[in-house]
This record gives sequence, C-alpha cells and structure tokens, in this order.
Amino acid sequence: MTTIPSIRRSLIAVAALMSSIASNAQAAETTYPLTLANCGRDVTFQKAPERAVSIGQSSTEIMYLLGLQNRMVGTAVWIGPVLEGYEEANAKVKRLADNDPSFESVLAEKPDVVTAQFQWHVGPEGVVAKPEQFEELGIPVYASPADCVGKDNTGGGDGVRYAVFTMELIYQEIAELAQIFNVQDRGEKLIAELRAREEAARKKVASANGKLSAVFWFSSAELDIDPYVAGRNGAPGYIMRALDIRNVIESDEEWPTVGWETIAKSDPTIIVAGKMERRRYPADDIALKHQFLRSDPVTNLMPAVRDGHVVEMDAQAMNPTIRTIEGIEVLAEAIAKSGLTQ
Amino acid sequence: MIGFANSLSRTGASLLALALLFAALWLGAAIGETAIPMDVVGRTIANRLWQAGYSLDPINEGVVWNYRLSRAVVAACCGSALALSGVVLQSLLRNHLADPYILGISAGASTGAVAVAILGFGAGLLTLPLGAFLGALLAFGLVSLLAMRAGRGHGAIILAGVAGSQLFNALTSLIVTKAANAEQSRAIMFWLLGNLSGVRWPDAWLAVPTAVTGLLVCLWHARALDAFTFGSEAAASLGIPVRRVYVVLIGASAMMTAAMVSIVGSIGFAGLVIPHAARMLVGIRHGLLLPASALIGAIFMIAADIVSRVIIPGQVLPIGVVTALVGAPAFAILLGRRGAAR
Repeated sequence: MTTIPSIRRSLIAVAALMSSIASNAQAAETTYPLTLANCGRDVTFQKAPERAVSIGQSSTEIMYLLGLQNRMVGTAVWIGPVLEGYEEANAKVKRLADNDPSFESVLAEKPDVVTAQFQWHVGPEGVVAKPEQFEELGIPVYASPADCVGKDNTGGGDGVRYAVFTMELIYQEIAELAQIFNVQDRGEKLIAELRAREEAARKKVASANGKLSAVFWFSSAELDIDPYVAGRNGAPGYIMRALDIRNVIESDEEWPTVGWETIAKSDPTIIVAGKMERRRYPADDIALKHQFLRSDPVTNLMPAVRDGHVVEMDAQAMNPTIRTIEGIEVLAEAIAKSGLTQ
Repeated sequence: MIGFANSLSRTGASLLALALLFAALWLGAAIGETAIPMDVVGRTIANRLWQAGYSLDPINEGVVWNYRLSRAVVAACCGSALALSGVVLQSLLRNHLADPYILGISAGASTGAVAVAILGFGAGLLTLPLGAFLGALLAFGLVSLLAMRAGRGHGAIILAGVAGSQLFNALTSLIVTKAANAEQSRAIMFWLLGNLSGVRWPDAWLAVPTAVTGLLVCLWHARALDAFTFGSEAAASLGIPVRRVYVVLIGASAMMTAAMVSIVGSIGFAGLVIPHAARMLVGIRHGLLLPASALIGAIFMIAADIVSRVIIPGQVLPIGVVTALVGAPAFAILLGRRGAAR
C-alpha cells in the first residue's frame, strides 16, 4: 500500500519535470534570421538547418548528442571510432572522408550549414576551404570556438594557445549549435549533465590537495626521440587544473616536443599516456609506450614508472573536444584507485 | 735534430687535440636541458668507467651517462664523418662547393625516411633510420651511374648529384603533400633538420666504428689526395691509380654520410664549411688536414648540439638549424674573402 503514493509522487514529479522542460523549450525558441559572432566573423542563419555537413569528429559528436543526426548529410575528419552509443546514428550519415574532405565533396551534399572543428580545415588558411568560399554559395559556416578563441593558428600545425582552453568553450559550442538548430532545451540539458560529471570527478580526488603533478604524453615521432607532451593551455591543461594537478611542462604550445631529460628530472607523480587507434608512429601504440618507459635507462628510474602510476587515456580526451570530460573522469578514477589521494 | 723536434711538436699537437676533444665531450655531458652539477658529471663517468661507487641520484646519473654522453659521442662522430667527407669530395672533385650531400645522399635519405614514415614502406620491418640509409644508398647509386654515363671530368658527378637531389627532393615533396597532414609533416621536418634527441649508446656502436674506419681509410689515401690537388691527370702521372682511389674514397664518403644521416637526420653545412676552416688553420696537406677536419668537425658538432639544447629553455631545436645559422654566415665570410683575394 505504501508504494502506491510514492509511485504517484514520482509520477507527479516526472510530469512536473516534463512540463518544465516543455515550458523551457517554449521560452528558448530561436528566432531567425540568427546572427552569431563566430571566430572573428558574423555568421547569419536564415532558418534552422536541415542538411548539415560537419567537419571534425568533436563537432559531429556534439551534434549527435543534441539528437541532430536526422538533419546531417555528411561527416569528415575521424580520429577514432564514434562516441559509444552513437554507432547506429553515425552509420546513417554519409562519411565524406576519414580525413580532410575536398571542397567539392562537401558541396556535393548540398549542405545548408557547415560546422568545422579545426581552423586548419575551414578557416583563413583552411585546406578544405575558407569560410568565405562557402558563404559565397549561401552556406553559413560555424567554427568551433575551442580552436579559435585564445589561439593563434597562423603558424600552422597544432597552433599556439595564448589563453587557456576550458570546457566553457565546448559548452559555448553546444549552446550555439543548439541555438542554430533551434534545440536549445536539449543544449541546456546536455551542458548541465556535463557540468555534473565534471563536478563528480573533481570530488573524487579532492583529498589529494594539489600535491600531484603529471605529464601528458601524446606520442613521439620515433620511440626514443623527444616526445610530444601537453603544454599548459590545451585540454590536458584544463584536465589537470580541474583536478588540481600541476603540469610539469610549462609551454604555451599546444603539443611541444620536450626531452625525456627534462621530463625525468621534473619528476611527475603521474604519466598520462595517450591511447589511440592511429598507427602513424610506433609510439602511437600504448603497449610500446609502456615498453619504452620500462626499458629506457632513464625513464625506468622515474618514480611514476616504478610505482606504476602510468595512466592510459584516450587521445581524443587529450584534445579540446567533447571527450575532454571523459579525460577528467578517467584520470580522477585512476588517481582514486592508485591511492595517491592519501 | 729537426726530425726529432718535428715529431715532438707533432706529439704535442696530437695530445692537445685529444685534450680538446675530451673537453668537448665533457661539456657535452655537463650541459643540457636541465642543470646537473659538474661534480655529478665527473662522478657518473667515474662510476661507469671504473666502478668508483659514488652514490648519486640515479636519474641524474642516467641522464648524464645514457642521454648526454652517448649523444655527445655520436655528435662528435657525425661531425667528423661529415667533415672528412667534405674534405675528400672537395679535393677529388676540385670544387670548393662540394659537400657530402652533393652526392644526393641527403635527398635520398629523406625520400627513404618519408616512404617508411608516411607511406608505410616495409610494413613495420623497415624502421625510419633503415629506410633513410637505403634511400641514401639508392640515390648515391643512381647518381654514380648517371655520372659514369655522363663520362669524364669531375663536373659530371656534381651535375649528376644536382639532378639526383632534385629528383629525390621532388619525390619527398610529392609524398609529403599527397599523404601527410600537418602533424606528420612537422615530425618529418624535425627529422630532416637533424635530431640527436633519440640517440642512445646502441647508436654510438654504429657511429664510432664508421667514423674511425672512415678516418683511417682517408688517412691511408692522404698522399693520393695531395696529388689530386693538381688534377687527376697529374695524379695519374705520379703513379696514383686514379680510378681505384676515386671509387674507394667516394664510396667511403657515401657510406659515412649515409650512416650518419640515418642516425641523426641530415645536418647541413658541417661538411661544407669545416674543411675550409681546417684548411685555413693547418694548410692543404692532407696528412694534417684530414685529422684536423675530423677534430674540428667533432668539436663543432658537440658545440652545436649543446647550443641546440640550451638556447630555448625547456625545448630542443633541431641541430641542423643551429649548424646552418652558424655555417651560412661563416660560409658567406669565406666567399667574401675569396672574392677580395682575387
């Protein structure tokens, strides 16, 4: 007998929630034409897009998380497998290219919007096109704030970040895409979820009290050559700051090459090693990374290696993407398990 | 009496030269990305060579012995080998502009390296250094064949080298632009400009015998090289087996250069400039010029490597950038002087 009132209570709660979402949605209806300031340009959207092409895996995944797969006609630039749970959605959207799509292959899908994660694909020096080239044809371009706000891409390559990356840039992208596609309620819900996950991870390692330090090793051009490690302003910088961990590398470059001598002598408590599908360099393989750390005459003496504090992390979490949040969770979990919080 | 004084001053000069070389090696082990006190360097070497049993921080000891000293030894070998090749080629071809890379070796090595790194030639069996070595030998073989077909005269091999280098550089560009993305081209750049950061003791076991054998072979032919100063006809009239000397010495230069390029990448200007500097110091007699060039080359390369490590704190410059920054102005001064002397 006692269960019925509680069920009824939760039903009432659900109904209240539903109506509140509905009313929120009504409150946040996008009015067109919509003009957004985006990466140094003003972009105008005449209507909610129906045929989007997304260039860049993180942009693509944000759109899936917003439930926009039915309004997408093409994707490109895949670094790894799609976000878990979205395999089916992804299979229905045409993959234009694993890597850089050509300008015409994008146009062939007759898109009414193009979203681009990286400036070096669609940007002032874009290899696919400049945004103006799409706009001449009436196709607005939305570029991820994460790759242009506080970042200098003119030098080519990975670029230099002079302002710190934060998840706020990803949240901004979610909110703006939600606005463009007129699904603002879903955007708000997604951002709230991500913020809650970040907070939960933070709590897990709060007792470490800022006495931990780390180095993020993405890969190396050759196994024993100076590795690519994370500078202080990219996604790993944010992950470490979120968990109150000190980055032993002090560089503004996104992925500087730093010698093992410097790394070994800076004595990080934790080494975070990138795990990826890519097999461009031998060191892309996480097994070879472990092998190197154990066999090199200097790195095998590092306390982090000796005590087994080498944490594996998906490489996509190490780049400023929607997955950065997973990076925070993975590292927090590993630290909590390792006993380093004591 | 004169002979005795002469041999005494010779012994003195040799001892001084050896002392200089050891001082350079010492500095190479003492100066690096991070600060390690001089006495730690001395004790490390004592520990490793004579089991002195000093108790030292193992990481410091590892860095000094396994990273820095092996690196200084390989740098010395590389500088010697390139300088020796330069002397031999400038003398045989009677051309002041000849350097080891004129034989197409650097271009061929680059093509071999990108073919392995980007196209995946050899499917994991070929490493990047081995690919570079094979590419270098292939290019040298082609250039030699072309030079032989082109017929007599020392001009032929230079023209063939230019043609071969252009061809292989074009192939490298083709592979890089067609198949590589920004990140890959950056890694290849790093390698093309020379990089000693991946050097460990096993590399020294290849570099030391190569450089020493090269030096001995060249010294064995010192008198023949003297004769070549007056042209191959003059050498032939002095009873020198011209063809054999050509094959042996050019072959030795090619092997030395290819081996060094495969260990550290292509480092420019040392092979061109060092022989000129040595000639200014000790004159043109090859009995003295060859060891002097080898020594100056070794010391120059160790110094360049030290500069490449300390000039930007926390980051290592490609050594080729340093050698070219010093080498290009030095060469310009040399050219200016020659012009003024005329």
